[in-house]
Amino acid sequence: MKKFLCCVVLGLSQTVLADKALNLFNWNDYIADETVARFESECGCKVVQDYFSATEEMMAKLLAGNGDYDIVIPTQNAVEALVKQGFLTPLDKSKLSNIGNMAAGFMNKSYDPGNTYSLPYAFTTTLIGYNETKMAELGLEPGDWSIIFDPKVLSKIKGKVTVMDDSEELFAAALKYLGYSANDSDEKHLKEAQAVILKAKPYWAAFNSSSYIKELTVGNIWVAHGYSSDMFQARSDAAEAGRSFTVNFVIPKQGAVLALDNMVIPRKARSPELAHQFINFMMRPENAAELSNIVGTGNPNAAAKPFIEEEILAISAIFPSEQQLNSLETLDARNAKSRRVMSRLWTELKVK
Amino acid sequence: MHHRLSKVLLALPPAAYLVVFFAVPSLLMLLASFRYPGEYGGLAPWYYIDDGQLSLDLTTENWLRLVESTIYLGLLLKSLGFALLTTLICALMAYPLALTIARSPKRHRDLLLLLVILPFWSNFLVRIYAWMIIFSPQGALSEGLNAVTGLLGLEPVNLMFSSTAVIVCLVYVHLPFMILPLYANLEKHDPALLDAAQDLGANARQRFWKITWPLSLPGIYAGGVLVFIPSLGIFAIPDLLGGTNGIMIGNVIKQQFVEARDWPFGSVLSLVLTAITLMLVAIAGRFGRPKGTANG
Repeated sequence: MKKFLCCVVLGLSQTVLADKALNLFNWNDYIADETVARFESECGCKVVQDYFSATEEMMAKLLAGNGDYDIVIPTQNAVEALVKQGFLTPLDKSKLSNIGNMAAGFMNKSYDPGNTYSLPYAFTTTLIGYNETKMAELGLEPGDWSIIFDPKVLSKIKGKVTVMDDSEELFAAALKYLGYSANDSDEKHLKEAQAVILKAKPYWAAFNSSSYIKELTVGNIWVAHGYSSDMFQARSDAAEAGRSFTVNFVIPKQGAVLALDNMVIPRKARSPELAHQFINFMMRPENAAELSNIVGTGNPNAAAKPFIEEEILAISAIFPSEQQLNSLETLDARNAKSRRVMSRLWTELKVK
Repeated sequence: MHHRLSKVLLALPPAAYLVVFFAVPSLLMLLASFRYPGEYGGLAPWYYIDDGQLSLDLTTENWLRLVESTIYLGLLLKSLGFALLTTLICALMAYPLALTIARSPKRHRDLLLLLVILPFWSNFLVRIYAWMIIFSPQGALSEGLNAVTGLLGLEPVNLMFSSTAVIVCLVYVHLPFMILPLYANLEKHDPALLDAAQDLGANARQRFWKITWPLSLPGIYAGGVLVFIPSLGIFAIPDLLGGTNGIMIGNVIKQQFVEARDWPFGSVLSLVLTAITLMLVAIAGRFGRPKGTANG
């Protein structure tokens, strides 16, 4: 929400400074400032960013009629929903000469066959970020979902844990902990997951999707459930601030959610021309590599690999091994009925 | 006649404004509350035409959901409790201050009032983030407090992510809304009344309870409404500062419109909240009317 203020300020200055602007609706902290600056000087335009911290937040804003962004970065299940809503404009591949750089494994997926509307941007996993120093002191093993769900483990870190304020993500984690699929829509399994969450809840400090980077970095929180790119940032922030502890992150051994984020152009985009230019720019290896080097995301751009720093390629929570990839799942879009069940269970567990 | 006409003309624009921005949305929500949610948010069509036959697709399911478990009503009660507590604390804190300002020399009053509204110069969210820093376990407040509890051999207290934090912030944000109407009321009191009472032998306590207090009830009422209504529906403060069970009814309404993409049920909750608010304001209005001006 702080970001929102910045946007307003940027938005104001932008109308004064440049007449050409690319309106980008993106996840928090999901593009490097360096990349933005380079694109701005190349296109002679301003990049105006607006941010969201959850898929549902983004969908609600778009579907309520605020659709005139030039580029949106939705996760795979949201791409499917947006396509079905007739919200997106097909990409003009003749303007996207760098398309061959993309890794085949991330192209032509079931949510958008033939990549008619979307091209992959970056991927993250939803995992555990932790205070490495504290975990070592307490002798805890964070590489397992029990670190946020098992009361026996949690009793050592009571009040020092946050989980995402996002029903989809938290239920997915609980389902994985129980050994089910993250996309399980069986009400019985969802209720089991709810029971797991309820038992763990008294040990958590908060449901938090917006400030866990800061809380981890300053040491208020020792274990946080969140996105890999955010944990990457918390780790470098803590190191830069010279804290007496280190932050690290890990994909729990039971598996986790993989989010493949994509670039799409809404039908109502004000400058689709500029939007295509941006997509093509982001597919250039050195620009795509900055996503991994600076933001800490996984990278669907095959040609970018030589530009990515060795030590980042080596972090398995960012670039999962083959074996880990098998345990990761992307979230499907839930139907209205399943969403309703989920919403009821979610409200119940928030109140109890 | 002419006088009455101009009165009507003057009252028309605000009345029209209220109709357009209160009644129309409420009516739309009432209709929405009987419809099904759309697959991707919004609402499903409320009728369909089959073989030239028009069929309605409406339901009372959304309203039944409200009462099928106690969670929503329980949360509503909790929110009412939070809002009442906030209003009460605001009133207790605002009254002495408003009275002091109203009785201070005229040349100081503007400055004092300016100080009351000074916090509005920075953005609401910035002020909430500032509280997050104050409440954090590394903050001076928490450390100071826990140094004391440590000496007394008590468990360390955690301020961040707690209901206490939510209430403190609710009071902080809404306090000026209580002070200003109270001050406006107290400032208008005729000092001659107090003089007369003193001449007739009333002591300070009697003068306050027999004169100042009854005359100030409309101010308390106005301030109370201005504090109570926004704190009842607020979601940003519990979102940012509340713990794992810190949510209020506003959060669930927001959740219905945003996460669950369930506008019909969100409408049901909003309507219930609006109805309860109107009812409480009406009841409080009877209390806030100064004595002797019954139908004023």
